[in-house]
Amino acid sequence: MKRRTVVTVAAFAAAACLLPIAGAQAEDKLALYNWGDYINPEILTRFTKETGIKVTLDTYASNEEMLAKIQAGATGYDIVFPSVHMHDIMAKLGLLARTDANTLPGFANVDPAFLRAKSDPKGEWCVPYAWGTVGIVWNRKLVPEGIRSWKAFFDYAAKHPKKVAMLDDMRETLGVGLIVNGKSVNSRNPADIKLAQATVLAHKPNLAAFTYEVIPLVQSGDLAAAHYFVGAMMYVLEKPDQLGYAIPAEGATSYQEDICVLKSAPNKAAALKFIQFFLRPEVSVLNTIQQKNGSVNTKALALLPPAMRDNENINPPAAVRARLQIFEDLGPDLKLYDRAWTKVKTN
Amino acid sequence: MSVAAHARWRRRALLAPAGLLLAAAFVGPLLLVASFSVLEPGLYGGVEWHWYPYNFGRVLGAPLGDVEEFDAAYATTLARSVKLALLVTLVSVAVCYPAAWWVSRLPPRRRALALFVVTLPFFANLIVRVYAWMLILRPTGVLNLVLAALGAGDAATDLMYTEAAVVIGLVYVLLPFMFLPLYASIEKLDPALLAASRDLGATPAQTFVRVALPLTLPGIVGGAAIVFIPALGNFVVPSLLGGSKVMLAGNLIEQQFLAARNWPFGAALAMLLLAFVLVVMLAAAWRRGTRGAVA
Repeated sequence: MKRRTVVTVAAFAAAACLLPIAGAQAEDKLALYNWGDYINPEILTRFTKETGIKVTLDTYASNEEMLAKIQAGATGYDIVFPSVHMHDIMAKLGLLARTDANTLPGFANVDPAFLRAKSDPKGEWCVPYAWGTVGIVWNRKLVPEGIRSWKAFFDYAAKHPKKVAMLDDMRETLGVGLIVNGKSVNSRNPADIKLAQATVLAHKPNLAAFTYEVIPLVQSGDLAAAHYFVGAMMYVLEKPDQLGYAIPAEGATSYQEDICVLKSAPNKAAALKFIQFFLRPEVSVLNTIQQKNGSVNTKALALLPPAMRDNENINPPAAVRARLQIFEDLGPDLKLYDRAWTKVKTN
Repeated sequence: MSVAAHARWRRRALLAPAGLLLAAAFVGPLLLVASFSVLEPGLYGGVEWHWYPYNFGRVLGAPLGDVEEFDAAYATTLARSVKLALLVTLVSVAVCYPAAWWVSRLPPRRRALALFVVTLPFFANLIVRVYAWMLILRPTGVLNLVLAALGAGDAATDLMYTEAAVVIGLVYVLLPFMFLPLYASIEKLDPALLAASRDLGATPAQTFVRVALPLTLPGIVGGAAIVFIPALGNFVVPSLLGGSKVMLAGNLIEQQFLAARNWPFGAALAMLLLAFVLVVMLAAAWRRGTRGAVA
């Protein structure tokens, strides 16, 4: 999930000391802690209507922010939505509750290809939630031919300096450096990471910025193209003659979040009810339609409007999926990326 | 109880709320940051409780082999932030001094209105206001539209994502903090002193440099301090208006606490920045011989 913005980071900084105080324990409550704008509110309304369980929703802007808050002892949350590598980290740190989710009715709707966490290959702890790609969004007036590869992206940047932007994200942007050099985005080889650093640095003079706040600038034509996640499809589908989005030919990163119950969850029974509710195709599809991202629920896919189901960016064919990589936890080797990113930012 | 003892106790009781608040909300967290800065980074954030001086070693040059490499980029980043914060402070003084002077000479009712206008930006969220600057500075933004409307379309500039944009943004955000202390000290300046200086044959320039400036110096120093320090640590403005292409101290520290999951190194960077500010403030206070006035 890629929606980390400066805005939310600043809000986090302001709110960091206001940890939630555990609410009264009651059967009829459920506290979700999710990424900002990452669930269709309609789902929460329907869940409450059907079960009488009152749902509260708090949001975070990055995996690290959520982890830091849970580690700092925030209690009162039942369900979190970590990315796959964070699911593994939280499992390692003993922060998750075993749910035996794979015994729930409806679990068979989940495509087993999305049981990606190494710590949880059978879905005994968490359930896949949603997924998507990180690609390129462009302004069709400025780039009528489109930008469908990293090569085209950087060539355009060389011809039109300061008209393209990349994400202000250590692993995503160094990840592009790794992909164009044919390396894994999870490489722990210092030579690979140095190569990625050199690639990004070589293009940096032609970039306008490293930033997440690009959609309004691409819409207005201040930027011609930007490295951005599939959430851009919300805007592309609204104005298909204005914007385009593509998964680059060389490959791209994908992300996936899982629904996990915290070990410290005060309302475990309600949390399980919610997971079971979300496994229903007609519920899951509500989220996909609103979020314009990938579905992990095979039966929900069948319910999608054809325009979305057949959209290769939202629901990529197998050949495209084969080019996608997903981030893994790198443990202590994360520091190689931190150093490379500092070099990129300071040179 | 004697009268003196009674007064002493009353003073203590009155100071207690502020003292407790400072201890809980400032001294406590500060000690936490200080202690984290010399502990080993935990693998997934947090700390391991071992003495670990290499966080400072990475910046200052006594690293731990391959585990914690020295990189001059850290010191350079801190130095660049100091330079930029100084520039922001200077621009703020230059903008605010004449404005504060003018406001202090307005009739009382209009003066009150002017002061209200200065504090008006506080009514809107910081992020929203910085976002507005994105809309002003971007190539198709308000600034260039206005220039074009004035027939100066050739002067159209692309300030978005430059260091200049960061300076503009920071000056804008911090302006009221400079204005208010300046205004307070300029308002107290007795016009009779200026008249006397002129009567005694001083030129306007001499009057300003030798009478007005020294008398309003406390306002300048106070304003400079509360502009310089937040300018040093701000990460929102460099990120939104600078496009993160130039890393500043605030961004570096944020990266350590979040993406790199290295709280101790982030804490060490924060402590170094704090130490620098403290040294500058103490030096300023020392020179003026009024230790308490700056704080």
